[in-house]
Amino acid sequence: MGQLHRGTRGCVIVDYGMGNLWSVASAIRYLGHTPQISNKPQDLQTASHVILPGVGSFRLAIESLNERGLADGIRDFVDKGNGFLLGICLGLQLLAAASPEDGQTAGFGYFPHAVERFSFPPTSDLPIPHVGYNSVSFSHQTGIFSDLQQGSYFYFVHSYRLAPALTNLNTGLTHYGETFVAAIDNGQVAGTQFHPEKSQTNGLRLLKNFLHRR
Amino acid sequence: MSTRPRIRFDSDGRCNACVWSERKKELDWSTRERELEILIARHRSRNTSFDCLVPVSGGKDGSYVAHTLKTRYGLRPLTLTIKPALSLELGNTNLERFIESGFDHVQVSPNPGVMRKLNRHGFTEMGFPYYGWLCAIQSGVVRMAIQLGVSLVFYGEEGETEYGGTSRLEDNPIFDTQYMKQIYLEGGLERVLASAQLPERCTYFFSFPSDEQLRESQLELTHWSYFENWDPYRNYLVAKEFCGLEESPSGNSGTFTNFAQNDQALYALHTYIMYLKFGFGRATQDAGIEIRRGAMTRDQGVNLVRLYDGQFPEENLDTYLNYYEMSQSDFDAVLDRWVNRELFEKRDGRWQPRFVVS
Amino acid sequence: MVKKRLIFTLLYNNGEFMLSRNFRLQRVGNLEWLKRNYDFSRTAAQIDELVVLNVERNRFSNDDFISHLQKLCDFCFVPITAGGGIRRLEDASALLSNGADKVLVNTMAADCSHKVIEIAKRYGQQCIVLGVDIRKSNGSTRALVDCGSKLVALEISDYLTRLRELPVGEWMITSINRDGTGQGFDSELLELLPPNFERPVILAGGAGKPEHFLDLLRNPKVSGLATAHLHNFVGDGLKQVRDLLLRDGQELPIWDANEIAALKSSVDEI
Repeated sequence: MGQLHRGTRGCVIVDYGMGNLWSVASAIRYLGHTPQISNKPQDLQTASHVILPGVGSFRLAIESLNERGLADGIRDFVDKGNGFLLGICLGLQLLAAASPEDGQTAGFGYFPHAVERFSFPPTSDLPIPHVGYNSVSFSHQTGIFSDLQQGSYFYFVHSYRLAPALTNLNTGLTHYGETFVAAIDNGQVAGTQFHPEKSQTNGLRLLKNFLHRR
Repeated sequence: MSTRPRIRFDSDGRCNACVWSERKKELDWSTRERELEILIARHRSRNTSFDCLVPVSGGKDGSYVAHTLKTRYGLRPLTLTIKPALSLELGNTNLERFIESGFDHVQVSPNPGVMRKLNRHGFTEMGFPYYGWLCAIQSGVVRMAIQLGVSLVFYGEEGETEYGGTSRLEDNPIFDTQYMKQIYLEGGLERVLASAQLPERCTYFFSFPSDEQLRESQLELTHWSYFENWDPYRNYLVAKEFCGLEESPSGNSGTFTNFAQNDQALYALHTYIMYLKFGFGRATQDAGIEIRRGAMTRDQGVNLVRLYDGQFPEENLDTYLNYYEMSQSDFDAVLDRWVNRELFEKRDGRWQPRFVVS
Repeated sequence: MVKKRLIFTLLYNNGEFMLSRNFRLQRVGNLEWLKRNYDFSRTAAQIDELVVLNVERNRFSNDDFISHLQKLCDFCFVPITAGGGIRRLEDASALLSNGADKVLVNTMAADCSHKVIEIAKRYGQQCIVLGVDIRKSNGSTRALVDCGSKLVALEISDYLTRLRELPVGEWMITSINRDGTGQGFDSELLELLPPNFERPVILAGGAGKPEHFLDLLRNPKVSGLATAHLHNFVGDGLKQVRDLLLRDGQELPIWDANEIAALKSSVDEI
């Protein structure tokens, strides 16, 4: 991959009405950078780092991003090689291929995975959603996974996850009734099913790695 | 070296309050309950009016005892309050609610001027800010019991046994006016009465009847805590549920609890002087209770004591000065007289601990 | 596998944090008090989640609550559940965009459960914690709503069966009888759950000391244990709980407050 053109702006957190922006912004501020929270596509163009948070319905999220022109904004941002993208929780799922939740909806397709419910029915031993700190193992402790130990704990709260798919990408895997993708990174676009802004030391380190991407 | 009067530590370093607390878990309370039934029966045949007298303040302890005697044993207690000085609104409301919940009640209001003098002299001579009231809840109660023809009086807890004092009454349900004068009043009654220079006719409620009168009346004084495992927190829960007890909206001065001793403003001063004299205050007392009932560990208690113990009752200072008719400097002089200088040093006009609780 | 959770609850009332005893409140201190006596930036390393409930009765606006929520978030990198008096979707939205990761609803589930569905549609059901406050008295067990002031007419098992239909993430069950007493959790409440209950359950009410958490956290029906005892866990109290659980061999994440502090302002200029 060629040298990426460095954006002049900084970190932008996408506001499309569906995410806990405050926590993510708070974590970024703690690390020492003041992020911009924006719902305007033009702000993405000059950013160097874009975070796509999200909680809730896949379909509503895509619709909301489309309505605001943010979906195009994100695609342009990635296509132009203007910087780095990180999706968190639903944000990661949106970057995947598609989701059958609420009727089939297409995602951005940066990762080949479909987004589906867990493959097992919930029981009192394995209740759904998957809530709490769980351990993650990485194929390579590089990129945004640098300085993270194998088996690091991160905070999860979700009922859907990326379905298994063949990929050579750098992934973090976790286990809850089944093994699934906890995090994934293609070098420019990354995503975490867990919430790094809610994962104490490990999460802050991952966010720091993201912000240090050049 | 401990600083609580009459406390004893065993070879493992446990104080007698804790040892007693452990012993209580193994004690055969059924034997003691039988003793209670016998005691009640003995007095039932004597009294035509009420079965017993229970001193109450509207707070959790007296309310619990009165409620239990009424509901569990079917007795008709007469409840009695000796009005304290500087009574607090919450205390008054709690007393009203207690009476409302269904009790016969008598309030005795000793001449406030007399009580004030005795309180003031108790404060200066003995470092007991409400000595007059402390006396009246014993002597006044005894007087009234005899007057009203009730021969059995149930106090709540035996403070010495429960909280680390002398263990004389650990296995003895009945005590007498000698014990009251010697232990609860710390042998100072004669001295305080003398220094207050009050004429004899004024001190009816602050003096004890003669030995002959006591013998004739066949009065027996007892503590509820002998017959049943004393649990201040349980008392609070029962008083809250059945007698309308309400808590203060914020923590009380010098401690973290809000549900005890809400009846009079002088209590905060009493526990503050206790702190200066002995190095432990109300929070330590309350933490001890919490630890013994299993609600917190000693380590947790230490955190709370460090945070709350020994707070000067600043918010009441003017009230105290007005009440005692003292100047700030005279007041400070009294505190100076009673403070244990090995434990405290004065910084910025206030006594500060030299020690750290650990 | 996912780990069990040690959860701390803060009860907010009109600018101050409260201690609750059987749902009766005592004022303890404000945010400054909290920072000082809980050293919150270090305390956050001892817990897995924070719950912040607005228990103010008869309030006019949520603005102060929200500003406190934001401030708590500034040094707290564990999930925060916020709730108390959520009546409409807008209330939930306001919390979720200002520091809350999940919202707790209680009265709403009894009075207007369709609004719970609304929130779930918008934000996903995993965002919602359903609070159920239970009191036992005179041989009967019932749920109460509205800060423990109103009795739910339904028999408890019928009520819980009905609640099971609601699309929420997890349940938080609080014992009103044990609340603030330091007598320990009431594990019998777990028996009230519908059979093979498929959602994570947090139990609350009654914790006083570290020991109270010990055996119960191993109970398979329990996903997390919560305490709101602002007095008993002051200072290093929460650390004492976590350390005891770790010594007992229970697997909980171990966070180093120093490492978190070292990450502060550690990012190079972009």
